[in-house]
Order: sequence, then C-alpha cells, then structure tokens
Amino acid sequence: MFGRMNRRYDVVVVGGGPAGLAAALGALDSGVSRVLVVEREPEAGGILRQCIHAGFGLHHFREELTGPEYAERFVTQVMDRDIDVAPHSYVTGLAVDSSGHRLVRVLSERGGLATVECRSVVLAMGCRERTRGAVRIPGTRPAGIFTAGLAQKLLNLDGYLPGRRAVILGSGDIGLIMARRLTLEGCKVEGVFELMPYSNGLTRNVVQCLDDYGIPLHLSTTVTRIHGRDRIEAVTVAPVDETGRPDAARAWDVPCDTLLLSIGLIPENELSESLGIALDVVTGGPKVDSTLATSLPGVFACGNVLHVHDLVDFVTEEALRAGRFAGEHARQIRRPRDAIALVPGANVRYCLPHTLSADRPHTVYMRAKTRMSPCILRVGNLLERRLRFVVPAEMIHLTIQPELLERFYEDRLQIDLLPVDGGGVP
Amino acid sequence: MTARQEQHYVCISCPIGCPLRLVHEGDQIIEVEGQECNRGAKYARQEFTDPRRTFSTTVPITGAVYGRLPVKLSAPVPRQAIPAAMAAIRLLSAEAPVRLGQVLLRDVAGVAGVDVVACRTMDRVMITPSDDPSSAT
Ligand SMILES: Cc1cc2nc3c(=O)[nH]c(=O)nc-3n(C[C@H](O)[C@H](O)[C@H](O)COP(=O)(O)OP(=O)(O)OC[C@H]3O[C@@H](n4cnc5c(N)ncnc54)[C@H](O)[C@@H]3O)c2cc1C
Ligand code: SF4
Repeated sequence: MFGRMNRRYDVVVVGGGPAGLAAALGALDSGVSRVLVVEREPEAGGILRQCIHAGFGLHHFREELTGPEYAERFVTQVMDRDIDVAPHSYVTGLAVDSSGHRLVRVLSERGGLATVECRSVVLAMGCRERTRGAVRIPGTRPAGIFTAGLAQKLLNLDGYLPGRRAVILGSGDIGLIMARRLTLEGCKVEGVFELMPYSNGLTRNVVQCLDDYGIPLHLSTTVTRIHGRDRIEAVTVAPVDETGRPDAARAWDVPCDTLLLSIGLIPENELSESLGIALDVVTGGPKVDSTLATSLPGVFACGNVLHVHDLVDFVTEEALRAGRFAGEHARQIRRPRDAIALVPGANVRYCLPHTLSADRPHTVYMRAKTRMSPCILRVGNLLERRLRFVVPAEMIHLTIQPELLERFYEDRLQIDLLPVDGGGVP
Repeated sequence: MTARQEQHYVCISCPIGCPLRLVHEGDQIIEVEGQECNRGAKYARQEFTDPRRTFSTTVPITGAVYGRLPVKLSAPVPRQAIPAAMAAIRLLSAEAPVRLGQVLLRDVAGVAGVDVVACRTMDRVMITPSDDPSSAT
C-alpha cells in the first residue's frame, strides 16, 4: 500500500526507481509476503519520471515507451500486489542486530526517524551525475552551470527553462537528449563539445537530437574556461590533441548563459560506503556474487547503484533477480558459495557478477573498453562468440549455461574481447 | 532530364550506424549504398521520401504533484511539421486528474491520426501550503 510503513518486513528495498520496483516484485515472486520500498521522492518511478523521451522498453515490452510510461507499468504492478511503498522517506543507515536481523534506519517527512526490521535489504539507489569538480574547469563559479540530468529534472518536472543560450559539455545520451529538448523549448544550443574523438552517446541520438536540429557536435574539443561573474556569460573551448591536452592557439569563445555537463554517471554509493560494503573501483558499485549479494550478508544490489546501465530493460531484468535472491535469503534458503571468480581480460572494462557457481545459468553483463567491429567474445576456454560490433556505450550481455561449467575445475574465469583478422579498431 | 544527385544518411536502425549514400534523379531513387543489411536501404528510402520523427514535451498541469505533465505524439509526424506541432502543444494545459494515454489534442498540426497523449497518470493531490489557495478544491 502506498504510504504505509510497518515495523517489520521480510525484504526492504532502498529506492523506488525501476530497479527498486522490480526488486520488490521479484521478492514477492520468491514467496515472501512482507515487502517495503523506501523512496525519498514524493512518488516512485525514479529517474524515469523525468526521462520523457521515447526509448524505453524495447526489450522488456517489445514496444518503445517514454520513461514515465515505463515507470507507470511497474508502479501499477507494485500497487496491485501487496507491497508497501513509503514516499518522502530516506534510508540513512543500516545495522545488523545479534539475532541476525537487519535494522534499516528510515528518516521520513511524516514519521521522523524510524527503525524497520527485516531479513534482507536490496540497494536500488540509482546513480548520480559527475559534476564540474570532477573535471576541474578553470575560471569563475557563476550561476548557470547544471548537470544535464538536473536541467532535465527542472525542465520536465517543474517546467523551469534553465536558460536561453546553452553549451553542452560531453556527448553522453542525457546531454544529447537535452540538446533537442532545450531547442524545442526555444533555447538556442550553441553546440555539444566532446573530449573524445567519438560521441559517447548512441548514434540514433546524435542523428535525431543534434543533426535534425542543426546542432553542431565538436569532437576532440573541450571547455577550457568559464567566464562571467554572477551568471555564466561565455565559455572558452579548444581542440585537444591525442593526449587530451587543449591547444590554446586554436581556442575560441562561445557566448552562453547556461552550461550543461553531461560527463558521466557514477553509482550512488554513499550508503554502501558507510556500511563498509566492498566496492569495485571500475564500476563504482558494490562487488556482488551470482545472487547479486554484496559483501555484507543479506544485502543485495541492482540497477544503477550496482553499475550504470544504458537500458532500463536490463535494470528490470537484473532487479527482478536481485529481489528473488533477497526473498530467498529472507526465507533462509542458502546457496553454496560461488567457486569461480569472473574477471575482465583484454578490452573488457568490467564484467558482473564478480563470482559464479556451476549449478545454474548466469546472466553476465560487461562493457568494452573501446569500439571494435567485428570481434570475438571469449569466455576462458569454454566459449567463443563472434560479435559484429561493440562500443563502450552499449552494455554486452551473455548467458552462461551450467553445462559449460560442468567440467571447469579452475577458480578463475576470464572474459576477453579479441580483434578478428580484418576487423579491429576503426 | 534531371541530373543524378546523392544524399547521405547515417542508419539509426541499429547501433552500428552505417553511413548510407542514396543516389537519385529527381524523385527517382537509383540506388542505396553503404548498408550492412537490408534495414539500411529501407531507412534511406524512408528518409528520402518521407522522413518522420516523434518527440516528447510537457504541458502545464494544475492540481498534481508536479507542475508539468509529460506528453508525446501517438505516432511520428513529417519532420517539417515538428515546429507547428510544438507550437500547438504550447497552447495546451491540463488539470488533474489525468490518465495515462488520455488524448489532449487530436490531429496535431493537421496531421491526420496523430494525437498528443499524456505519458502518465497524474492524480489530483491535496494542496500544499506553497500552492495558490484560490486553486484549492
Ligand atoms: C537522464 C537519463 C536518461 C536515460 N535515458 C534512457 C533511455 O533513453 N533508454 C533507456 O532504456 N534507459 C535510459 N536511461 C537509463 C535508465 O533510465 C536507468 O538506468 C534506470 O532508470 C536506473 O534505474 P534505478 O532504479 O537503478 O535508478 P533510479 O531511477 O535513479 O532510481 C533510484 C531511486 O532511489 C531513490 N533513492 C536514492 N537514495 C535513496 C535513499 N538513501 N533512500 C531512499 N530513496 C533513495 C531515488 O530518489 C530514486 O528514485 C537513462 C538514465 C538517465 C540518468
Ligand atoms: S544498415 Fe543494418 S547494420 Fe547498418 S546500421 Fe542499419 S540496421 Fe545496422
């Protein structure tokens, strides 16, 4: 029930975005009955509520939905089942008592500080955006600098147009989508500036969000200085060489009243860190075993808090699994410990989960370090698959069947992405 | 007789993004090159004869948890109709409650069969102190 929070649950889910909602459904499917979702915003749905563009659900629903539509399908399912959702509530901490129960500390607008007892916890707090501090642009610190996602929230939820003349730093999908959105709202977008020699966003977004509206994309170019006292007035941009160093001689100024930063996302790991959960330095999220359990017993993770996803459909898939395993854990079902470490090899930036077992199929998610077409995906000596095309922006997924691991006696399985003769890095 | 000309597109039907070259004489398509599969040729032909796009935006809403209601087009419109569609949507406003899929405007910008529809349900919420008391129900 929306707005209800009891004192005792089987599973408590932290965060009511697509990951949290699917985890709650997964937990219920596993046979537990008392599930709570804690969400700090006034309603569930997470980041999808502000992602009003189409492009969600092609895998899960086989149709192209907008973010709010995708979210609503899951909110409705959660409301139809017996799941409690506590809005305006923030999880501030977590402890384990002597009898092995988890105590979740919830700070809520109405109830103040409360402690909720449960057997399993699912972390589904999503991610946050890298800010300017993370890129250290010299110059002044005037108003008018926003992360792209914050500008998206202001515009799409509150109807507040951040400015009239904008520059976008970084070509991630959110930046590209915001370029089109601002243009439609009458804001002039002067250009998108990308440090790398290729766009970090999907080609379809470059075509439909920039090319269609005549917005220039400047590759191998970055913002080197910010001008303006109270409000941003201009930025200096400059081309960069192969090492990423700006060439001041070829720099130019772009007048603007708004700078949007679309320079990447990182898992929201404040809570995980404060709990002493082991994190992966590459993903920025927790290390997890094949049941998506973190290093803290009974605490599971899924969605963008685990690793930043590009497609919500995979968030849903992962979260349903995490919820099911969290539910099993709450019912005291214990699985043997994973015996195989899964490690990234050549051209693999990361792969998840961190460990595998030989008793059931596993879904493995990974990202490439560079663009390759075509290439060979190799899983130890067990499996080779030819892929036509890989890019860092698109997650690769793979199912490893138990038969494959039947006669695998090592404790370490490496995944590589190898070039094919005639292919390689274009 | 018209001379041969060419148009360049990037196929967006899949993440590979093949660069396409479409050769035509006036309205007559002669050939498409550069695609790695058939979808590329289909895409280039569509782009050449009738490029269509869709978009989302928001309209103001009163009595709901947020001040904006996300809306979308029920189907793509010809690309050049986007400014007119956007101008028509700018004149719209809504009042909670609104249902997901509710039609706010039919045949937007004169494109038959393309409607502006709500992308979410927005219930009527109780007025919070920061809201205008005169709009209370
Ligand atoms: C701007 C943007 C554009 C995107 N565009 C697309 C797209 O076009 N297509 C596509 O398929 N995918 C897209 N994605 C990806 C997809 O939407 C996300 O991967 C997905 O929404 C992640 O879901 P999540 O539940 O992990 O995180 P979120 O949706 O971020 O949800 C996390 C929730 O947890 C809550 N929370 C956090 N901390 C706490 C706490 N301590 N206590 C209580 N609640 C807390 C937050 O308020 C939030 O509601 C986009 C992502 C972003 C950021
Ligand atoms: S032509 Fe085929 S392979 Fe090339 S981008 Fe289009 S759909 Fe992909």
